[in-house]
Amino acid sequence: MIDDRHVPDFHHCSDHCGEQPSILDLPHIPLGLKQEWLELETRRHFLGRGAKALAWAGLASILGRTAPHLLADTGALIDRRPHFAPKAKRAIYLFMAGAPSQFETLDYKPKLAGMFDQDLPESVRGGQTLTGMTASQARLPIAPSFAKFAQHGKSGLWMSELFPNTAKLADDLCVIKSLYTEAINHEPAILSMTTGNMFPGKPSLGSWLAYGLGAINEELPTFVVMTSKIPVRTNVQALSNRLWSSGFLSPEYAAVALRAGNEPVLYLQDPKGVSRDVRRAMIDGVNDLNRQLFERVGDPEINTRISQYEMAFRMQTSVPDLTDFSDEPASTWDLYGPKAKEPGTYAYNCLMARRLAERGVRFTQIFLRTWDNHTNLPTNIKVMCEDSDRPTYGLITDLKRRGMLDDTLVIWGGEFGRTVYSQGTLKPDNYGRDHHPRCFSMWMCGAGTRPGVSYGQTDDFSYNIVKDPVHIRDLHATILHQFGIDHNKLTFKFQGLDQKLPGVLPSRVVPELLV
Amino acid sequence: MPMRRAIVLFLASAGLAAAEPATFGSRVVPILEKNCTVCHGAEKQKAELRLDSHAAILIGAKSGEILKPGNAKASELMRRITLPEADDDVMPSDGKPHLRPEEIAVLEKWIAAGAPATAEFDAPAMVPAVIAPPAAPDYRLRLAQANELAAGLGLRLVPRSRVVTDGLVLRTASAPGRCDDAAIAKLAPVADLIVEAELARTKVTDAGLASIGTWQNLAQLDLARTAVTSTGVARLASLAKLESLNLSETKVDGAGVAAVRALPALKKVWAFGTAAEPVAP
Ligand code: HEC
Repeated sequence: MIDDRHVPDFHHCSDHCGEQPSILDLPHIPLGLKQEWLELETRRHFLGRGAKALAWAGLASILGRTAPHLLADTGALIDRRPHFAPKAKRAIYLFMAGAPSQFETLDYKPKLAGMFDQDLPESVRGGQTLTGMTASQARLPIAPSFAKFAQHGKSGLWMSELFPNTAKLADDLCVIKSLYTEAINHEPAILSMTTGNMFPGKPSLGSWLAYGLGAINEELPTFVVMTSKIPVRTNVQALSNRLWSSGFLSPEYAAVALRAGNEPVLYLQDPKGVSRDVRRAMIDGVNDLNRQLFERVGDPEINTRISQYEMAFRMQTSVPDLTDFSDEPASTWDLYGPKAKEPGTYAYNCLMARRLAERGVRFTQIFLRTWDNHTNLPTNIKVMCEDSDRPTYGLITDLKRRGMLDDTLVIWGGEFGRTVYSQGTLKPDNYGRDHHPRCFSMWMCGAGTRPGVSYGQTDDFSYNIVKDPVHIRDLHATILHQFGIDHNKLTFKFQGLDQKLPGVLPSRVVPELLV
Repeated sequence: MPMRRAIVLFLASAGLAAAEPATFGSRVVPILEKNCTVCHGAEKQKAELRLDSHAAILIGAKSGEILKPGNAKASELMRRITLPEADDDVMPSDGKPHLRPEEIAVLEKWIAAGAPATAEFDAPAMVPAVIAPPAAPDYRLRLAQANELAAGLGLRLVPRSRVVTDGLVLRTASAPGRCDDAAIAKLAPVADLIVEAELARTKVTDAGLASIGTWQNLAQLDLARTAVTSTGVARLASLAKLESLNLSETKVDGAGVAAVRALPALKKVWAFGTAAEPVAP
């Protein structure tokens, strides 16, 4: 705790400078919360004062025992060393929003072939509540996968014919077939997957990494998001910046969303007639005013604003180099396919993700969002797989040949699974599948994940997990672990709680997924 | 994070072994925590067996007891850990590393002594060699110096982790153009702390590799898209700890790769987009 007997000079700037009563004067507020507020405010305010931050570091070290605690979650002086040596320096998360069916992609269920249109045994469903979309159906008829599977590579992993290119990577993938989540609808399920919690307001995985580890490249954002052009116009999943927000962490840890087209970051280009020097002088002027405001009111958001202006200025030079693909060798286009030349496609985004990774961006999340196949699943999933298979393969192969797969973690998957029974009409070549949170499949690749394995097992209906369940919290813990982070120790004090990505429920690193 | 905690415990106990009397708690628990309790502990109970307390071990598994106090040979636990590594029944399972002979010996002595919960038993000494050698000298006293030196050159030297002997990473991504041979040469006073050098896209040339060739603790070196050639790469030939070397999109040819191939620790070389591609394993 701050003790003004030792630190005479700085605690007075933590209240509202005499303009209003301080929170500290209010009755009925637990002392602990007051202390938390005082610390947060004081630290941020103090650190914002540029050169004085260094003096503060010295002061903090004199204070001895107090110092590490005071430095725990400040912007400038946070201890950003990983808890232990990391395997991953960066990650590329291929988020298949809308939830791809596990039956046609990764979870091979040969016994279903003989059960076409039979009723799903009640014992399997076990009385589970269904969504409003299928609860009123008279029957729950089994829909076997129209897609065929074959074993690939030395590992003999079963891969779908819909992913002919990704299948060539069987010996590199670490497939998990036993993921589960609580949410049964997209928005809460995608939020759970991206932030660890189905309620909005928590920091995204990428924000936690930015906060915990800092930037490798200070000229680019630490966390980048790209949404991909949709290859089919049905089942489009809504996405919003809640999914990549920094929640209660400082807004500087939120993702920068790159847009498709020739202006990937809006308003980054200088307006006509404004030279770079003029722009610099303007930003300096605005920053000066902001600093004065900060001195007066001490609101940490002002500092964030200042640093965002600086980042935007730096991105004016770093982004054009990033988006100029003319330095790519011809082999790039063979790998990712011709669509990679068209801004905004999934293929283009995959190539961009490699370029971001090369430049040290810690976390890139690509969203592809038309997997929500309630109806016409065979037709639509074919389009989705065709759109994404080659670029996904291209990305991993490219990372591998450039020596980057050893420290780049690639993650592929959606937010939940789909049902074994058909939603709507069932024909061998036409059916739909509803949402299913009890089990779903994903894969990881690179950065010390165990290659060529299939972990976890579902029953013959891919309805329940029968072996080695992995909650999405465990997946988060495992991802953080590869970054050298102990998931229970990366915390931020907020609302009286040491907040952390996996939340307060038990979570664990899954050692079987790692080498 | 159970694995890590277990390792720390294990090392601590190895250090204490000489001073502290050998008991279940001081010698057996660390071995079980390191190797077994991920599957036989609070979170998972494979075969309904828990190995995280003395009482639980005596209760045994689904199929019954796993221990005959006083008779190590007749104990299922001993049989499982002494099977050949390829055996389906061997423990730890799932291709996890076999117990080391010293660890097996400790468990054997403990069971033979009647598997006491608290009483001392006559355990063999731990071989201290299990402690991995530090990657670099303790950085604590020289971190400020390293940071200052790097910042003055427009570079960054960041600790690889909180483990103070994990060394420093030379980071240049913010401004690769600022990192040239002269800057590299100036890092000499702290070069022994550097275990990883991210030099892709920098201005480093063969001349700079003469300096880097003296960075004895360097394990990872990324030179992708630099102007280095095989002549320079040959200057790395005394980096005894170098594990990975990225030469992608440089002018290096087969001669460069051949020059480092014999390095004792080298595991991976990448030479994508060079005349040396593909690199034979
Ligand atoms: C990766 C998970 C895993 C680890 C680690 C592991 N076990 Fe097991 N263990 C299992 C499984 C699964 C079974 C049940 C299958 C079998 O009997 O082989 C089992 C069974 C056993 C049994 C037989 C129980 C019975 O039914 O009689 C013993 C004894 C045992 N383990 C001891 C150990 C010891 C000692 C260690 C550490 C040196 C260890 N295990 C580490 C997964 C593991």
